Amino acid sequence: MLKRQFCWLGLRQVLGSMAVLVPLALAAADKPAEKISPDQLAFFEKKIRPVLVAKCYQCHSANAEKVKGGLLLDTREGTRMGGATGHAIEPGDLKGSLLITAIRSDKKDQMMPPKEKLSPEVIADFEKWVLMGAPDPRDGKARTAKKPDLAEGKNFWSFQPVKPVAVPQPKDTKWSASDIDRFVLKKLEEHQLKPVTDADPHSFIRRLYFDLIGLPPTPEQVAAFVKDYQSATGNRQSAIAKTVDQLLASPHFGERWGRHWLDVARFAESTGKERNFAYPEAWRYRDYVIASFNADKPYDRFIREQVAGDLLPAKDAAQRNELLIATGFLALGPKGLNEKNREQFIMDNVDEQIDVTTRAALGVTVSCARCHDHKFDPFTQRDYYAMAGIFKSTQTHFGVGGGGNGKNRQPSTHVPLVKTYSPAPAASVTAGSATSDKASPTKLTPEMEAKLQKFAENRNPKLVAKLKAMSDAEKLAAYERLVAEVPKAAKAKKNNKYPETPDAPKAIGEPNGQWAMAVLDGKPADCPIYIRGELEEKGPVIPRGFVTVLGATEPAKITPGQSGRLELANWLTSPENPLTARVMANRVWQHLFGDGIVSTPDNFGATGERPTHPELLDFLAARFVANGWSVKQLIREIVLTRTYQLSNASDAKNFAADPDNNYLWRANQRRLDAESIRDSILAASGRLDLQPPAGSPLSSMTDMDLGKGARASLKADSRHRSVYLPIVRDMLPEALDLFDFAEPSLVVAAREVTTVPSQALYMLNSPFIQENAVAFAKRFQGTSADPKERITAAYLLAFSRPPTTAEIARAESYLKTQATQRGGSPESALTTFCQALFASAEFRYVK
Amino acid sequence: MNTNRPFDCRNLQPLALTRRDMLKSISAGFGYLAFAGLSAQAAGYQSPTLPKAPHFTPRANRVIFLAMQGGPSHLDTFDYKPKLIADAGKPGDKGKLVAPVAEFKQRGQSGLWISEAFPQVAQHADELCLLRGMHTDIPNHPQAFVQLHTGSARFVRPSLGAWTLYGLGTENQNLPGYMTIAAPIALGGAQNYGSAFLPASFQGTRMDAPASTGSVDKKARKNDTGTNQGIGNIRANLPADAQRAQLDLVQSMNRDLLATAGANPEVEGIIESYELAFRMQSEVPKVLDMSKESAATLKAYGIGQGSTDNFGKQCLMARRLAESGVRFIEVCHQGWDHHSGLKSRIASSCTAVDQPIAALLADLKQRDLLKDTLVIWGGEFGRTPGNGGADGRGHNAKGYSMWLAGGGVKGGFSYGATDEHGGTAVENKTHVHDLHATILHLLGLDHEKLTYRYAGRDFRLTDVYGQVPKAILA
Repeated sequence: MLKRQFCWLGLRQVLGSMAVLVPLALAAADKPAEKISPDQLAFFEKKIRPVLVAKCYQCHSANAEKVKGGLLLDTREGTRMGGATGHAIEPGDLKGSLLITAIRSDKKDQMMPPKEKLSPEVIADFEKWVLMGAPDPRDGKARTAKKPDLAEGKNFWSFQPVKPVAVPQPKDTKWSASDIDRFVLKKLEEHQLKPVTDADPHSFIRRLYFDLIGLPPTPEQVAAFVKDYQSATGNRQSAIAKTVDQLLASPHFGERWGRHWLDVARFAESTGKERNFAYPEAWRYRDYVIASFNADKPYDRFIREQVAGDLLPAKDAAQRNELLIATGFLALGPKGLNEKNREQFIMDNVDEQIDVTTRAALGVTVSCARCHDHKFDPFTQRDYYAMAGIFKSTQTHFGVGGGGNGKNRQPSTHVPLVKTYSPAPAASVTAGSATSDKASPTKLTPEMEAKLQKFAENRNPKLVAKLKAMSDAEKLAAYERLVAEVPKAAKAKKNNKYPETPDAPKAIGEPNGQWAMAVLDGKPADCPIYIRGELEEKGPVIPRGFVTVLGATEPAKITPGQSGRLELANWLTSPENPLTARVMANRVWQHLFGDGIVSTPDNFGATGERPTHPELLDFLAARFVANGWSVKQLIREIVLTRTYQLSNASDAKNFAADPDNNYLWRANQRRLDAESIRDSILAASGRLDLQPPAGSPLSSMTDMDLGKGARASLKADSRHRSVYLPIVRDMLPEALDLFDFAEPSLVVAAREVTTVPSQALYMLNSPFIQENAVAFAKRFQGTSADPKERITAAYLLAFSRPPTTAEIARAESYLKTQATQRGGSPESALTTFCQALFASAEFRYVK
Repeated sequence: MNTNRPFDCRNLQPLALTRRDMLKSISAGFGYLAFAGLSAQAAGYQSPTLPKAPHFTPRANRVIFLAMQGGPSHLDTFDYKPKLIADAGKPGDKGKLVAPVAEFKQRGQSGLWISEAFPQVAQHADELCLLRGMHTDIPNHPQAFVQLHTGSARFVRPSLGAWTLYGLGTENQNLPGYMTIAAPIALGGAQNYGSAFLPASFQGTRMDAPASTGSVDKKARKNDTGTNQGIGNIRANLPADAQRAQLDLVQSMNRDLLATAGANPEVEGIIESYELAFRMQSEVPKVLDMSKESAATLKAYGIGQGSTDNFGKQCLMARRLAESGVRFIEVCHQGWDHHSGLKSRIASSCTAVDQPIAALLADLKQRDLLKDTLVIWGGEFGRTPGNGGADGRGHNAKGYSMWLAGGGVKGGFSYGATDEHGGTAVENKTHVHDLHATILHLLGLDHEKLTYRYAGRDFRLTDVYGQVPKAILA
């Protein structure tokens, strides 16, 4: 569909640039040797091979110093397959053979060989050769010297198994509070750095609250902690541990840490892209993620549920529903609903699923290998299509029907949830979903043709003629479009949120009237390589499997009749997988310190940064797995370190040596994320509703292309925590969008921190800030008339600390002046003062 | 929450404009910001949109993109096909061949063929560089419109304007560097001016189309909530002196924070952002306020004259923004999807934009801005020579026309050609990727070097494609 037909004009420039970007090296196609007659062999050896060797191999063979255009002419396979722009030789077809076009050309920028045109006789030989079927004895696999070397690739640090590491012994034996500290201190000592002092209790409690639950501590919580912390009898560490345990047990913990996951899961409640349809049930996945973090669901289990929940056994209806909702992870990516070609739509969706799965779980990008072997990392096109087969064998129920004025060309259904469910062996679970299987047909049958014929006859004679002229592949595509029309006609049943459609999956158990975005197994099949990602250019079929360099054996042992997602999920979360535990341990570290040990948390590959503390990362990853993949336990161990409890103080010597604080000699001053900024404003004004809302405003917007109307209705006031605001692609809530919320169409492992005037304008002038400033100020009306006390109370609410004497004086002077200004009053002065606190940098930073 | 990610483009060196220079240059009312008070650690902060040096000498310093959404017909406007007139009525690729509904004439010194559908733009023929061999991938509005703006219909990618801002920054820090007026809510919506994986500071700022009645209505502006002016929250919440006092309090707190040991240099950025915001409140309305434009100017753009009013205002706004140092400006006119009623609908669409565009070209020229402003006209694709089974033309991605004018392109020049009926580009074909490469080239950016690393890979606007047709460069 998107196929770009290169004009030959300027082909050489294109080839030149492709050679840099695309070291095309297709995995081998196992084709049997061709039969060649002795005459043909003689012709090839006499007329063709010498020319290829003399004129072409310099740039187009495995031994070429630099292979141009990904084109290899030193094997039959390479010659037939062609390079970046298409088949070099199409046997019997002069027009389809780009090599012929190139050697015939006179134009400077398209002729091949580039400097001297071949003689007319030689060109005639090549034409003759192509017309006789391009007989070619050169067996063997096309390969370039640059083909990813798996053995070498496995040596890369992140692809090596997590190694047991000995805890180092720093010279200072007193400073450390835990083994993690010993790793950090050892590095500091190696770099002649000294950790600064511990954080004061006010800064620390604010840091801890935001890091663990994303909310500021109330003044009472601050006071209680400070008292505990400073009490002569109390042990500092036990005061901290007590608070940490309270926060980890809080329901707000999941709202904070679940949102970190939603960033990498590119969570959103609409399709985005050219037609922006609502996902009315996406919120269930959001709530599932929050609940999972609150329950401290083992992380390996969490991943398995999202990749293959539908294939896992459930003990009752509630769990079955939870497992289905979990697979929403695979269903809620952006979708190009206007795509006409069903096959293209499916493969784009498969690509998106490979991308989100590998980047979320493994922190590497495998989807680069859709069109060619990965340029930097040892991921092959073969790996990609091995995984593509798994997702292609999966049906994605993203629940956008054919309504909305028919703007959706790719209607889908939801999966029904159940109120009764009897535990069933995995096999029958599959059978249940297989009955609903409507996977795309791959072959045109006479029945299909008859149906098309009938449809055309009922319309007009032109269509009949058109149908006659169609190739089988085109007919097949037309048939799929025809079938896809069916759900549009389906009528909504009374009391049923979604229309009944013939291809909707059947519930396993009694439906409870609720629905979820989910995936189910479809018809299992391996997927061919699509050369350069083009649907029309099929290469060899690749058995389903995983990423070879990460220790996957090939082919994967997949339960017959299943897609292979269960095996993929198990492989992703196997303790032997070198990446999964490291990547998550690094993310936890990143969210607590501002930067990961690997500062490119979504890229553990060759182009990513190397870990600053590789041994510590392995130590954490191993502890994480040993503690049953408990995220809460990992967080607990990290926040109880002295490293985490350092102050933000500066030190000239340290700063000169390590200005970026790579080795953690102090705490980083960090900006709050968008959610915490908004939540803190509502908390300070006393208007924050800490109860989770039921569902989402999107849940009533079924089959709707979201336009101006939806935009307006989504602006409705919400006082819930920001994690519950409706997340519509390309229509983010202003409060989140302005402060670098994660782009929900992309996998985001680390948000940007930008500082732009639109944030300042928001703080100065937005209705939201004004309303909350008024409410914030009203909290002090009727309280002590002493302005000092009001100022202190406001500081405690805004900054979790009391003001200094100088700050009180400054505030008093402001309040006094503004109250007596023309048009001013004590109330208005207090309101603008409260707004100034919101607007201040301190409000949006932790240190 | 990684801190201070570099806005890094390895091939770009920041202009020799230091922070100190910048503070000096915007020092009015800014003197209280004591340089000495800024800790040495904070000195590294730079606004991400500060001007950056291009890769080579630019021919254009800004872009005005006149986006014609719907797929305007090239066959009735800028692509003269005598054979299409001769063969009208005969069966063609998509239905019966339709002769152009407006008469073609040779124009200007250059003798470019342009139809009577654009009589006023045609008077500027010697400024126009017609691209008559355009082609794109998909003849569907949503995908093609997104591809026109981001290069990719399949993946979410940064927009052309965002890449431009990333590559060059912007001259006027009091205004967004990339503004888009009346961008469609649908057809990709914010994706068409989004920054995707580029930092959010490079995304476009959307403004609604100016109110469509009469000339600029002061009362309407007074009642405006602020968002209608396109830049959110621009209307000051307090009287200027009260807000200044409030801001002084905020800045005093911010400087305290910055002065503490270990302060994040971003805090300095916050301090600067507040001063910028404060000035924007008065600057932006000034730039957007067209009431001081002379009656002659308003008339020239067709403002207050029925069908040209809306687009006239957009074009005048575009000139005002260009003049004020906005780097990338897009204005949009919708409704070019002429499947039926070809003659009357071509006439009405063209009439609505012809005079405003001609006025814009004349105005830019008279202000000596055209020489370094690149004006781009065109839609997501063109139309078919055949009637598509109705009294109109179908979608055509295989061949269509766009035009460029101003900064660095040959005027009175035509590049590329479609076949004899105008259905398919056959000579000097220019793909959307090539157009993007060309636009960046004219701005002094090498499209192969303007890269951003995301998810382990260096991305480009043009992916692995794009060639600059050297023949069109002046």
